[in-house]
Amino acid sequence: MTEAVRNPRLHALGAASIELAEIVGGMGVLLARILVRIHKFDGEELVKNLYKMAVKSLPIVAVTALFTGAIMVIQAAVIVKRFNAEGLLGWGAGFGTLREIAPLLTALMISGRVGANNTAELGTMVVTEQIDALRVLAIDPIAFLIVPRFIAILATLVMMTLFADALALFGAAYTGQGLLGVEPMTFFNGLTGGLLDFGDVFNGLFKSFVFAFVMALASCHFGLATKGGAPGVGRAVNASVVASAAGIFVLDYLVSFLG
Amino acid sequence: MLAFKNIKKSFGPKQVLNDVSFDVKAGECFFIIGASGVGKSVLIKHLVGLLACDSGEIWLDGEEISRFDEQQMGPVRKKCAMVFQHATLFDSMTCAENVALPLRKHKDMNAKDALAEAKKRLAVVHMQAFADRYPPELGDGMRKRVAIARALTVDPTYVLFDEPTTSLDPVSARRVDTLIRELCDKLGVTSIVVSHDLSSIFSIADRIVMLYKGKVLKIGTPAEFKATDNGIIQQFINGRAEGPMDL
Repeated sequence: MTEAVRNPRLHALGAASIELAEIVGGMGVLLARILVRIHKFDGEELVKNLYKMAVKSLPIVAVTALFTGAIMVIQAAVIVKRFNAEGLLGWGAGFGTLREIAPLLTALMISGRVGANNTAELGTMVVTEQIDALRVLAIDPIAFLIVPRFIAILATLVMMTLFADALALFGAAYTGQGLLGVEPMTFFNGLTGGLLDFGDVFNGLFKSFVFAFVMALASCHFGLATKGGAPGVGRAVNASVVASAAGIFVLDYLVSFLG
Repeated sequence: MLAFKNIKKSFGPKQVLNDVSFDVKAGECFFIIGASGVGKSVLIKHLVGLLACDSGEIWLDGEEISRFDEQQMGPVRKKCAMVFQHATLFDSMTCAENVALPLRKHKDMNAKDALAEAKKRLAVVHMQAFADRYPPELGDGMRKRVAIARALTVDPTYVLFDEPTTSLDPVSARRVDTLIRELCDKLGVTSIVVSHDLSSIFSIADRIVMLYKGKVLKIGTPAEFKATDNGIIQQFINGRAEGPMDL
């Protein structure tokens, strides 16, 4: 009898390691298959997915961004009042919003709305043999289904982050006016007075690109790997959301070191 | 011509197909029958590369295709269309878009022309009135007919039907039977039908193969099946609960 069989903890650790290796390997293989076919994407599917993922996400991203900007000001209000530092309100809210909060919260919102939906849709197509039907029609499922979704998720998250940046700052400026009496012009002067520049915006957009990459890969991988009917679709969606969220936070930590 | 030669297939310890061999002639309506779980659907999935056999050969028009990779299967799949048991239309597309998709991909048609052609093809299966409806809005029989229209867009020489009349009401089932028969008679298409619908089998089949315990039990015409004194076949074609058949 081997040590692993005698020791249930060792056995569980081994099984978890193999499962993790399968997931990472599966995502690696999927990425390679996507990159090989990246030029063969279906234009109609791309437009359809961009509409479904980006345009239909606008309301939820708008609400999240407006309130996020407002929350940033509410949190800063105590210090701003104590030190009469109204001129720094724009910088304080803008720095955190552009570099961290807008990309992160937008990614989590898009992960919940778009990533989960993508996994559920692909998983359902797998368990109802729609993917096999595509193959039998001599249509490559990766080029037809996956590549447009991958590109659409990347484009959606970067665009939505830019949109969220603008709306969050708008929400922050008018919350500052309502709560602290700081004029929007003073707020925007704080934003553009030299403490912040486009590098901060690009840093946030780079983060959103990285988040989108992991989300697109995870949602497509878990969707295509679905097994076991309706409960299998549920498990796939759950795994996709958890993997995307964990990936987003780990990558946020790593990318934050880049400056 | 199509030939399965000594096909073996196992899933884990369970051997589903054990040395299955038979030929299908061009233009015939060929039925594969047998009890549930005997490997009928598994067998036809080998022909379009959805499953790979453990050993044996599949010959299609003089070419051995059982070891083809995904890319090599492309031309085979255009030659051999398949209608799945549950129709498997794409839920996110209308019926017309479902039929237009292979036209757009394989006939170099733009979206507008493909949709116009798709509506004509839907008319052939009497589904033109439902062109703009989504598959979940339709009944099983209607979805099957749309799936047949979609399968025919690639102008196949062979069409594989996996239990085409299962879950249909008798009228819809006979309409599907008529469509399958017309494919053979009017278009010269070879139809390979997996079924255990006795009405279909004895009304439209040219020849039948019966699988039992992973092997070929008998190949013959419907008349030969009716006349046989094999107890297992008689139990199956008469739908008797009691008999020598071991399920």
